[in-house]
Amino acid sequence: MTVPVAAETGIEARRRLREVVLEAGGVVGDGRPAAMAGAPLQTPFGTAEPVEGDEVSTVPVGEPAADSRDAAFADGTQRYIVEGRIGLTPVLRAHVGAAVLTRRDRDLLPVVYEAEEFVVAPLDRLADTTVTKLHETGLQVRDCGVPDRAHPILDVQLAVQQVERRRRCAEIRAVTEFRRREPDMWLVVDGSLRGYADAIRESRVLGAIKSHETQFLAGMDLETALTLPEAHRTTVFRRVGAREDTIHSWYLRLWDWAEQDILFGLLRIERERGPDVLDEIDEVCRWLLAERSPVSTPDARWDRLLYPIHEVENFLKAKAGSWW
Amino acid sequence: MVVTTEGPNGEPIGRVVATEHLPASPHQFHFWTEVETPIGIGAIVRVEGAARTVYAVVVDAKAYSDLADPLHEVRVAAGVPAEHVPPTRRTEIRLWTAAVLRQVPEEPLQPVPLAEVFLASEEDVQVALRMESYVQGEEQTGIPIGMYATGGLTAPVYLDANFLLGPESAHLNISGVSGLATKTSAVEFLLKSVFTHFPSGKGRVAAVCFNVKGPDLCFLDQPAELFPEDLEMYAGLEIEPTPFDRAHYFAPFKADGININTLRSHPDLIGSVHPLVWGLREVLDYHEVLLNRDDLDAKAAAFIDFLTDRVVEKEFRDEWGNTHRVRTFSDLEQLFRAIFDGLEATGRGDTWRTHHIATIRKVRNRLLNISTRCKGLVTDDGTSEDLPFGTFEDRGVYVIDVSGMDQLAQDLVFTRVVSQLREHLERRDLGVDHIVVFADELNKYAPGDGPETYVRKMLLDISERGRYLGLVLFGAQQFRSQVHRRVVGNASTTVYGRMDMDELATPGYQVLSQATKIKLATLPKGELMVRHPHFTQPVFLRFPRPPVLPGPAGVAAYPPAMDVPFEEAVMRQLVALDRRISPNAVAEVIGGRQEEDVRRALLATRRARPDDVLAYFQAAVGPRVHHAPAAPAGAGTTPLQSVEDPYA
Repeated sequence: MTVPVAAETGIEARRRLREVVLEAGGVVGDGRPAAMAGAPLQTPFGTAEPVEGDEVSTVPVGEPAADSRDAAFADGTQRYIVEGRIGLTPVLRAHVGAAVLTRRDRDLLPVVYEAEEFVVAPLDRLADTTVTKLHETGLQVRDCGVPDRAHPILDVQLAVQQVERRRRCAEIRAVTEFRRREPDMWLVVDGSLRGYADAIRESRVLGAIKSHETQFLAGMDLETALTLPEAHRTTVFRRVGAREDTIHSWYLRLWDWAEQDILFGLLRIERERGPDVLDEIDEVCRWLLAERSPVSTPDARWDRLLYPIHEVENFLKAKAGSWW
Repeated sequence: MVVTTEGPNGEPIGRVVATEHLPASPHQFHFWTEVETPIGIGAIVRVEGAARTVYAVVVDAKAYSDLADPLHEVRVAAGVPAEHVPPTRRTEIRLWTAAVLRQVPEEPLQPVPLAEVFLASEEDVQVALRMESYVQGEEQTGIPIGMYATGGLTAPVYLDANFLLGPESAHLNISGVSGLATKTSAVEFLLKSVFTHFPSGKGRVAAVCFNVKGPDLCFLDQPAELFPEDLEMYAGLEIEPTPFDRAHYFAPFKADGININTLRSHPDLIGSVHPLVWGLREVLDYHEVLLNRDDLDAKAAAFIDFLTDRVVEKEFRDEWGNTHRVRTFSDLEQLFRAIFDGLEATGRGDTWRTHHIATIRKVRNRLLNISTRCKGLVTDDGTSEDLPFGTFEDRGVYVIDVSGMDQLAQDLVFTRVVSQLREHLERRDLGVDHIVVFADELNKYAPGDGPETYVRKMLLDISERGRYLGLVLFGAQQFRSQVHRRVVGNASTTVYGRMDMDELATPGYQVLSQATKIKLATLPKGELMVRHPHFTQPVFLRFPRPPVLPGPAGVAAYPPAMDVPFEEAVMRQLVALDRRISPNAVAEVIGGRQEEDVRRALLATRRARPDDVLAYFQAAVGPRVHHAPAAPAGAGTTPLQSVEDPYA
């Protein structure tokens, strides 16, 4: 049976519900409609073990750093379009780019830019003459390796994964080139440090992860991490995996999340393992806390998007221009 | 890899940007520059397209960052701006709006190309302002008006003499707030420039300047103290930084009829000031100036016309056997007295030659009152001293100091002098082919509203037809919006000094951008904005201090002399003509003489400027006549019966 709900009833119901949440020791949200869950997460869970202490706990980091730190910021971008299909086989044209901006005396300046435009298609499904003609376009032609059985959506998704890999390659090339020129300058890359390998070894490189798709903590450790107060961090933990066990990580809450989503203002920071990680962690956190300003509005991710990273994105968008 | 760098000179300083909402058009475009840039409002830039070069002047500017909402800044600063210095400076833009001055090629007219923007070079300035057509080639008619100065470049800017002094168009109008001396300084400098650069092949040129207030124009023949930057500009504009060597001064007497009514009365300078004295004829021709609409009804006008046509300077016989030859106000008074007496004696009623006695009385009172209100300028006795119409000097400047005069007298001087200039120019016998008339306070002489006056009608006439005669008006005022639109509208060249914001808010300035208005409202002394027929947009310029002593400095250097007693004033004026004359000799000549006789003789001597001044003066005064004392009126004499005078 459907019961019509008056506006007053809805507001009252909301009030009662929020009271229940609060009485149960919970925290109410911002009252906005939940975001679309979207596609299933590819890697929702990982594993980790504490490095700083025996369990994940909360540490206040203090006041934001007062001075601007000379540093660099890196990010990448990708665009693609299905130009057509040969039979059922999709042919995509893609553009990927990556850049590093340095900040000196509070001014950002682009110093490294990498870009690539290419064709992606499951080449095994195409005739040799067609592949030859694709090469004759002058663009790089890359295979996305699909299974024999065609699928109109999956084939495109696999091609897009190839685009993402190429973007990652561009990011790594940009970071590597920057480290070659500036081996000592702090560098913040957007996202995980996974895959950077030599480019970040024994260097001052931070990964700023704002998507939180993969959760390495569980139980109370996870709750401690995701309910951090403003200007607090978790203790450091180490990701456990085949290749990533050299990466140390911790959470940092940039903004008070009261009446907001639980992930509001929450960053997970990564840094290559080293003796300085624990020594410098609070200083690094205070620095990142200072990066709350300027805010990256009107970007919807402004609570987690550091302004210099936002500017790298804008630079890459401007460079790509009206690419289609 | 992209690295933004500051390029050396000659490299682009900006790039044209265009969006659907901010497009580039054939007349306007937008470009961005680095935050630190040498350009500003008024800068001239060049856009180099593939097949098109565009010259433009910057008229507006914006700066903004990517901040979505000011409240966001407040939030991250926790409401305390002083303690908030973000680690990263927001990306910001300097977005400039430029108005197109010229496109090459000019046809087909197209939108400005989205290309690189350069600072204009000296050659670019010349092309942008279309000056190459008159500062190069065989017939050069360029008159320097100042220096364009932006981004380290200084380039001379020229007006076209054909559009400043005619015949293509003419007249200049200058506006600006009072007290900064920009208007007067600019005109003094421009006159010097005109006298230096006006092509000799286009005829002779002179200027008549009305000094309407203070000592502004009283020292045009005295050198000023100039600074190195002034001398540099004079050198760049190819003008000698020297005062006017052919300056002539005219001023009326004060009410005492002997001391000249001018602030240029220092003993070292008073000798070069000529008295300006007019008699009945000079005044009667311009009675419309002196009599307002209430005075000058149809009946009064008819009677004045009768006097002008039939009486003045003619032998006129009245009905009672008297013969009149009216040359002076005194003669005129005698005529009126004869009419009234005659009518009374004969009892012929209240009409004389169809004119009612009330009208006659009214005209008498108004006309005779003129010699009172304009005392010092108008004499009762018929003598006159005037400007040298017919023998005007080439490159001469004639200053008429009316600053100490009654407004009515100022109007009379202005109207009569300009009318005389016009008449002589029409007859081609002024002595020069072009005459520049400089008049300040145009909002007083040619107001946009208020009753129609003779002065305004005359200014309108000059504005609309003067260029054909070579009669050019350089007018100045504080508020352009208050001047008659046909007067300012006919000025082909318009100059603006620092302006009042209220004035800039009037409709006449709608064509200017807000940034241009702000610049005008804060313009420093020595800078001005110029519009000229060859310039499609206003241009900001600098001009040097004029090479003449400014009024206040002149008064300090040459303090005005105090009024002196009659005898001493006569002595000083004669000594100024001939330094060998001894005061005792003068005292002996004028002792016991009527002041009127002495004044007349002094005027005649000044006019003649004889070799032997004292002898001439003595002869002009005439032999002494010993009068027998007049017998007292007899007890039985019957006084004249007076007719009631409603206008007395």
